[in-house]
Amino acid sequence: MTPPDSRRFPDGAVVSARGLAQRVTTADGELTILADIDLTVAPGETLAITGASGSGKSTLLGLLAGLDRPSAGEVMLLGAALSELDEDARARLRAGRVGFVFQSFQLLPALSALENILLPLELAGHRDARARAADWLARVGLAERASHTPRQLSGGEQQRVALARAFATDPQIVFADEPTGNLDADTGARIIDLLFELNARAGTTLVLVTHDAALATRCARRMHLVAGRVAARAPA
Amino acid sequence: MKLLRLGLWLLRRERASGEWRVLLLALVIGVGSVSTTGFLGDRFKRAMRDEGARFLGADLLVTSPRPVDSWPAHRLTHSAALEFASMVSHGDAFQLATVRAVDAAYPVAGTVKIAAQPFAPGIPGRALPPPGAIYADQELLPLLGAQVGDRVQLGATTFRIAGVVTQEPGQPGAMFGLAPRVFLRADAVAATQVLQPGSRVTYLYQFGGAPDALAAFSEAMKPRLDRTQRLIGAHEGVETLRGAFADTDRYIQLAALVSLLLAVVAIAITAHHYALRHYDQAALLRCMGATRRDLRTLYLIQFGSIGLAGSLAGIALGALLQTALAHLLLPTAVARLPALGPAPVVAGVASGFVALAGASMPALLRLLHVPPLRVLRRDLPPLSGSAWVSAGGSLVLLLGLTAWYAGELKLVGIFVGALAGLALLLALLAQLALGLGRVVQRMSYGPLRFGLAQLLRHRFDSTLQLAAFTLALFLVALLALVRSDLVDGWRQQVPADAPNHFLINIAPHQEQDVAAFLARHHLATSELYPMVRGRLTTKNGQPIEATLPPGQADASTLRRELNLSHTVTLPANNRIISGRWFGNRHGAEISVEAGMAERLGLALDDELGFAIGDQTISATITSLRSVRWDSMQPNFFVIFAAGPLDALPASYLAGVRIPDDAGSVLPEFVRSFPGVTVLALDKLITQITGIFNQIIAAVQLLLGFLLAAGMAVVVATLLAGLDARRQEAVLLRTLGAQRAYLARALLSEFVTLGLLAGLLACVSAEVAMALIAARLFDLPMTLHPWLWFALPAAGAALVGASGWLTTRHIVRVPPMQSIRALG
Ligand SMILES: Nc1ncnc2c1ncn2[C@@H]1O[C@H](COP(=O)(O)OP(=O)(O)OP(=O)(O)O)[C@@H](O)[C@H]1O
Ligand SMILES: [Mg+2]
Repeated sequence: MTPPDSRRFPDGAVVSARGLAQRVTTADGELTILADIDLTVAPGETLAITGASGSGKSTLLGLLAGLDRPSAGEVMLLGAALSELDEDARARLRAGRVGFVFQSFQLLPALSALENILLPLELAGHRDARARAADWLARVGLAERASHTPRQLSGGEQQRVALARAFATDPQIVFADEPTGNLDADTGARIIDLLFELNARAGTTLVLVTHDAALATRCARRMHLVAGRVAARAPA
Repeated sequence: MKLLRLGLWLLRRERASGEWRVLLLALVIGVGSVSTTGFLGDRFKRAMRDEGARFLGADLLVTSPRPVDSWPAHRLTHSAALEFASMVSHGDAFQLATVRAVDAAYPVAGTVKIAAQPFAPGIPGRALPPPGAIYADQELLPLLGAQVGDRVQLGATTFRIAGVVTQEPGQPGAMFGLAPRVFLRADAVAATQVLQPGSRVTYLYQFGGAPDALAAFSEAMKPRLDRTQRLIGAHEGVETLRGAFADTDRYIQLAALVSLLLAVVAIAITAHHYALRHYDQAALLRCMGATRRDLRTLYLIQFGSIGLAGSLAGIALGALLQTALAHLLLPTAVARLPALGPAPVVAGVASGFVALAGASMPALLRLLHVPPLRVLRRDLPPLSGSAWVSAGGSLVLLLGLTAWYAGELKLVGIFVGALAGLALLLALLAQLALGLGRVVQRMSYGPLRFGLAQLLRHRFDSTLQLAAFTLALFLVALLALVRSDLVDGWRQQVPADAPNHFLINIAPHQEQDVAAFLARHHLATSELYPMVRGRLTTKNGQPIEATLPPGQADASTLRRELNLSHTVTLPANNRIISGRWFGNRHGAEISVEAGMAERLGLALDDELGFAIGDQTISATITSLRSVRWDSMQPNFFVIFAAGPLDALPASYLAGVRIPDDAGSVLPEFVRSFPGVTVLALDKLITQITGIFNQIIAAVQLLLGFLLAAGMAVVVATLLAGLDARRQEAVLLRTLGAQRAYLARALLSEFVTLGLLAGLLACVSAEVAMALIAARLFDLPMTLHPWLWFALPAAGAALVGASGWLTTRHIVRVPPMQSIRALG
């Protein structure tokens, strides 16, 4: 099953949500984490989701990427209604088309920098995977560190590898959750530069979660969450 | 395909990780130990099966302690032979031999090969030697210092050795080489005068022919047999031979299985830890689009490869070691065993995979069900469950495997029950020992204090390690004690003046001469006891079978003819425990050994009937005796008062001590009384203890696996806690601890663990040994000081080494790099 190309969606959206809500039952009763979220992200668009810690940013990202199921509402990702897909079908939908960047890098410690980039390529079954991975490693400026394991790389270097990994399969959309959260300001700024550069060059859709308002301004659109709801206006 | 590549790739990248190594190691140990015994057992079973009818030398064999005169009508080929023990001498040399006197038709099936020289190939032929000649086992010739063509004395006659037997239908005795075989013509037996009325003789009647004729014959024959007579088909024949070995084999297999079980514990711990460490990887792969099925394939490929590699390596190890085991167990039979078979390979791979799959499946299943959302929410807990669920699942699977190996559920039940009880006990003891460790820890300082604190903090791990290693050390020690105390110790318990030779088969007319000979040479001797052979048939007028206590229907006492004697003086080492010794009283009175009375449900005043030859003799039990069997004196189950047996033909028996420096006394005796059989007890004991020692050595070989498996458990538990330890080490180093301090702390932790395991094993082994000695052998309890040094030392060395090898690198890591590793 190949989903239709996002660029030819009837409504043109790569990802969209309608009436999205997430509630969990805890010991103290029902807890609403997200409520009434509507959004549409067009191809090539960059969206920043901001909000205080605990406001539900990561939860929303997970729902948009199909990593979790919402309590209510619907998500359309790459032309497919996620509610109609089971977990494995959602995984297949992501393969090669969705990239991720995480706050904690999430590189596999046993694999070298090159191999970490290779992993999604192999999984998606790319033919010239190795050459492609090497190419991407060079693009993030780490060609000499190909055989180094994450343990031998600094945090900024690890995140650069993670960026290369996210973009290597030519995804249609990249989800990034606080990509600078574990880095100092300088390094973070350089990572963000790189992220936007790669994104611009590939024309990828980007959904970026951050609590940093300055960073958010670099995105074409911004969305501010307060206690799980979209705030009328983003703070300046 | 792409998943296969990816799986192998991931495996290769992680091959240096401790987990794969421990899994591999555990598999090699577990599979290696079961394949070692598996290969040998299989070779032996096939040897048995291939022998088939050739083992009996016939399709059907009837054995009887008396000649059988009448047979059902039949048209089968048949042969009649008789077998007895006799001395064979050549010059001053003499040897007890198993003489088989045969007719021209022997053997009805199978081949006998005769060669002109020892260890020459031999020509198929008949076992019947030419008149005036014998054939002998090739082992006999060097014992006699004789060669083919020499004349040897057998009873009252001399015979020429006309050739050596290089092959004959299977012969259990020959397996352990107790008494070499001599073939004699049946028509020459009488002239030897070896057979006396009380001599133990087995008559062997072989039959061969078409299956239906054989079946009809055995149907007609069965009702005519009494308990002492047996009808054996080719199949049962193999079973008989297997019997003795199969028991040994089964226990050895079970010993091997303990290693596999410990290996499973190591695998379960490691797989659990592997899963914990790979939750992130699994979640990430799911994010990147891997389906659950992809993940399953990916992990199956990795674990499958390890399973295959570990099993095959274990099998290869087993194939190597089984040769050693074969030489230990069956030194004389190794050459006759068939080559390695494929069945144990299959069984080895199967047990490897069952162990691996059973022990790692629960952990892997949890890995497959990791929610992909974990990449965003690190706190998302992995599904519940523990290493114990893993271990439990695999243990259940392994019980099935055990049952399959042992082929007997009851035995497995007992075995597993005993093992579980032992494990529980050891765990309890380990807890106690750790409590003791706490006391020591309070009093200690420096790295020792820190090391002990570690031990106590990881109390669960420590208990597991301690229990596993104690189990291994305990079994090793127990076996060593059994060997030193029971096997060797038994010989030392024998009183110095106890008889070391039995003279049996003394003809009535020789009684005076033998007594005179013994007196002339001042030899310490027992009384010369008359001996009559008879069967116990009735109790108080009822057939004895009908009166047996439950569970005794097949009592071996009834399957043999009993040695019956009569004497007026209660033999030394006998004690009356109820009733009164008849002494000089004449009459139909008997004294019965208490153990036999208990087994057969006999009591004072019971009247027993004995069939002796074609007569029946009845007598009343007037006393029960306890007998010290280890006194090495001639002992009897049933002793008659003077009277009833007097008129019956008897032969005489005496126990005599012949000093080692007695020189030519024995050869002179054998020359003077060629028909008398001289049983060299000390030689026999040496042979029997030799066999015991062989078996023990074989089991000890397997205990090497057990120790290795114990070490694997230690390594597996350490590995699971290694990350936490690394963090602590980094913390300590940044706080200023020196490398040497860390190293000493680690070492003191593991050495203490090993010492404790050694101590626990000591206590357990001493207690178990005391119980065995007291309950089974009536021996006093003795302590073994050497054990108290050896076991803790061995424990400290082995646990210290495995612990140090697993953790040493955390000492070496520079603090900076360690900090990074924490990130
Ligand atoms: N399954 C769950 N059960 C209970 N609470 C949950 C669950 N999922 C999310 N939460 C809670 O919902 C709130 C929102 O979580 P989320 O991770 O989306 O916040 P966030 O905006 O990403 O915060 P941060 O900036 O700290 O990453 C938090 O308080 C979190 O603890
Ligand atoms: Mg978050």
